[in-house]
Amino acid sequence: MTDIATIILSCWGALFSLTAAVGLIRMPDVYNRIQCSTQLVTFGALPILVAIAVFAGPVSPYGSRALIVAALLLVLAPATSHAVGRSAYLTDVPMWPGSVRDQPRE
Amino acid sequence: MSGWFLALAIAEMVVVGVLVVRLARGPSVSDRIVAVNSICTQGALVVLLFAVAADRSGYLDVAIWLASFSYLGGLVWARYLERGLL
Repeated sequence: MTDIATIILSCWGALFSLTAAVGLIRMPDVYNRIQCSTQLVTFGALPILVAIAVFAGPVSPYGSRALIVAALLLVLAPATSHAVGRSAYLTDVPMWPGSVRDQPRE
Repeated sequence: MSGWFLALAIAEMVVVGVLVVRLARGPSVSDRIVAVNSICTQGALVVLLFAVAADRSGYLDVAIWLASFSYLGGLVWARYLERGLL
């Protein structure tokens, strides 16, 4: 049972990691790429960490370390994405020409 | 099951290979910061998966340090771009 859950969760994480990486290549803009990189964490990395915790048990050395890394990523990834997006906007990184709205400038 | 985790680690390395393209091509510095952050996250995952696959608990602390300090590095880079060195 735990093996099946591990395989499903880790396949989910690996597939979403790959799609987020392709999005990071294909997106036209820094801000869209930041959105893809947060998807890489929340849908790509977290299921794999939960899969490790399910496989090894949450109180074993591996499972507890995986849950610690998951908590760190959940706290730090949105903060860093916000800071990088803000600094990109303030240093005048151009938006995609097809963008429809530039709210801070209005 | 350890072979499965090894295969997962190799799959994450493939994702890192895709991200390196963005790191090399990124038109602005912010693109490269985003790519480096994602690569460091994937690196922490690879280390963790390899620790589970090879049953070596000594690598676990490396994964925790990578995961925490890569994002702190990204914060420092963003602050540097915004306000200069101090």
